[in-house]
Amino acid sequence: MTSLGAVPGLLALAVSGLALVAGTVALAATRRPALALAVLLDLLLAAGLLRLAAEPTWTSLGTAAAIVALRRLIGAGLRAGGRTLASAAPRAVRQENSAL
Amino acid sequence: MEELLADVVGVLVTVVEACGAAVILIGAVWAFVRFVWVGVRRGGSHAFVPVRLTLGRFLALGLEFQLASDVLRTAVAPSFRELGQLAAVAAIRTALNYFLSREIAEERRQVAEETGAPAPDPASAEHRGRGV
Repeated sequence: MTSLGAVPGLLALAVSGLALVAGTVALAATRRPALALAVLLDLLLAAGLLRLAAEPTWTSLGTAAAIVALRRLIGAGLRAGGRTLASAAPRAVRQENSAL
Repeated sequence: MEELLADVVGVLVTVVEACGAAVILIGAVWAFVRFVWVGVRRGGSHAFVPVRLTLGRFLALGLEFQLASDVLRTAVAPSFRELGQLAAVAAIRTALNYFLSREIAEERRQVAEETGAPAPDPASAEHRGRGV
């Protein structure tokens, strides 16, 4: 089922490299590992989709699905942690209530 | 006649798939440039969210192109084995698209919460109407 040849695979490799660089830059700039991880996973997902276009093998399918699942999991975990921190700080709660 | 149809569909699939790959690649490279730019300028963590939103939209668009090529392929699926693989690819792409659009909606909500007043987004109406 390959119609585009090996080009998307090479592009996917390049985008993976870009993902690593962007994640490092984000980590260095904000010093927030969660944000850097989100940036890294975003670009890795792009690489996975390109690889899916190149050669839809079971491995690449599994990789793309695993990245999305990981993103959902990490996002949910971070939101839960953020909510706990917010309820621990009364000022944040008041701000939230006024926003609602 | 059948071979002609298969040839035409094959060309169409290649063209549509190349379009999808191009959209994803452009989105990734553009987002990378913006990420580095924001990081170098020390825009803070808030500056990263709009870039991620845009990248998510690019990825969703590319996925839809790829889904279109999957639909085209079902027109001339030759064997059961290929059909099964095609079904798995299409299912994963549809699931990816669904989760991606949910993530985009959630991040947009967070941005609106942080800025206070909900900023009207021109793409939101179109996106809501396109729920997979």
